[in-house]
Amino acid sequence: MNTIQMRALTKEYGAKTAVDHLTFDVLPGRVTGFLGPNGAGKSTTLRLLLGLDRATSGTATVGGLRYTDLEQPLLRVGALLDAHAAHGSRTARSHLRALAAANRIPARRVEEVLERTGIAPAADRRIKTYSLGMRQRLGIAAALLGDPGVILLDEPANGLDPEGIIWIRELMRGLAAEGRTVLVSSHLMSETAAFADHLLILGRGRLLADTPTAAFIEERSTPRVRLRTSEPGRLRAALAEAGLEAVEGSGHWTVEGVRAERIGALAAREGIPVLELADEQVSLEQAYLDLTAVHAEFTTAR
Amino acid sequence: MYGTALPTRPALHAEWIKIRSLRGTVGALTAILVATAGIQALSAAAGTVEDGSLGEDPLFAAFFGINFGQIAAIAFGASAFAAEFHNGGLRVSLTSVPNRTRFYLSKMAVVAALALAVGLAAGLASFTAGQALGGASAPGWDTPGAGRAVVGSGLYLMVMALFAAGLTAVLRSGTLVLGLLIPLILIVSFVIGGLVGGPAQYLPDRAGQMVLRSVEHGALGPWTGLGVSALWALAALAAGWLAVRHRDA
Repeated sequence: MNTIQMRALTKEYGAKTAVDHLTFDVLPGRVTGFLGPNGAGKSTTLRLLLGLDRATSGTATVGGLRYTDLEQPLLRVGALLDAHAAHGSRTARSHLRALAAANRIPARRVEEVLERTGIAPAADRRIKTYSLGMRQRLGIAAALLGDPGVILLDEPANGLDPEGIIWIRELMRGLAAEGRTVLVSSHLMSETAAFADHLLILGRGRLLADTPTAAFIEERSTPRVRLRTSEPGRLRAALAEAGLEAVEGSGHWTVEGVRAERIGALAAREGIPVLELADEQVSLEQAYLDLTAVHAEFTTAR
Repeated sequence: MYGTALPTRPALHAEWIKIRSLRGTVGALTAILVATAGIQALSAAAGTVEDGSLGEDPLFAAFFGINFGQIAAIAFGASAFAAEFHNGGLRVSLTSVPNRTRFYLSKMAVVAALALAVGLAAGLASFTAGQALGGASAPGWDTPGAGRAVVGSGLYLMVMALFAAGLTAVLRSGTLVLGLLIPLILIVSFVIGGLVGGPAQYLPDRAGQMVLRSVEHGALGPWTGLGVSALWALAALAAGWLAVRHRDA
């Protein structure tokens, strides 16, 4: 009912292929991160799903139906595509009222989403006086208007302050926990990995990965441990015996390919004092960049 | 099949909210009435409408204010549709009404209804103001064609608003449409002046204004003239519909 299905979805602009035979499902009950560098085709894919752009070939459906065939679409799918898309001379309340009216959504629901997104006090101000963060909240209010089972958010954290970013994360987690399908695009891996259960990674219009976030981290990131010790010589010898190599940085040591629990146990057994010991997860962003960079090189070399 | 693309009450309601919530568009709509009736009243009160100054057609002179009201009607039609091209607003509109034909027809229906209602009021106000202030020489309800001209002025203003709205859908810019139509109407019409006949009589404004005349003026009669204007508007509306239907939003 609320599953998004893409089947060989393709969009060509002249000779340029923006979206290249995308096939994937987005399932309800979890937050799916839609990742890719700028220009990878994320926004185009979302526009194709909403029937705003016409696919060259392939299909994009929600619960088996094309968006353009939905009678009251806002009751099924809520979308935030571009925070600037609301007319600046309207008030937020009028903007939402018009959207509500077209889908037979009662006016009191407008008041509810204004409250929920925290812009109720500014509801009668013209939208051009809004900051980017407030426009982003208005876009989210519009997406929530019809209480839809499917929510699409394109870069929702843009322009939000740290408090706003936490708010949007919790909102997305909450919506997914209620059994809704939540698809969130972003170009930042570290940001997305913090709240997404599942990842779809796009590069140059092609699907590069369709994987649970935990599995991606497990597979792609090599573990690394950072530590400090008062007896580096002894520790180094003990590590060498275990087949590990410690590399000295500025005041600390790093050991590749191992997790902290193993080093901790080893140091305890040998009686080596350890002053600091921590896992480092730096390679996640790197793994993502490597994955997408391969594709970027293909096209720049052409 | 085509019935499914007709306007629905919710879609019409949404378009009504969108139009009434933009000050500029509401301003242009109000200006149709204020300009048409106001200019007419001023010119009548100033005594420009005296015996013999009415030209060959006193009824046509009674709707002199239409020359200004039509500019407001064009501005209204253009701005009502141009709002959709402001920062990609069309995307938001089409996510709420994804059937593009329904969206388009709903918007145009609301533009037409508002322009007709205000246009009729403007025509009526203009005619009665002329009578009240213009003295015995001003045409009255017993002048041949007076009723037709009053109704016709409302229809004419509606046609001009739709013509501008359709062109705006094609060109995706209200400013561009105003930049094209206002010179066309002001300059071309004033340069040609009172010339009778010729190809210029088929221009949308000159053809449509035949409905305001009591004396034959060229090849077009009152209703055929308005019909020619309506054809211009229909052509613009059809081109706008094709553009909205087939373009990526």
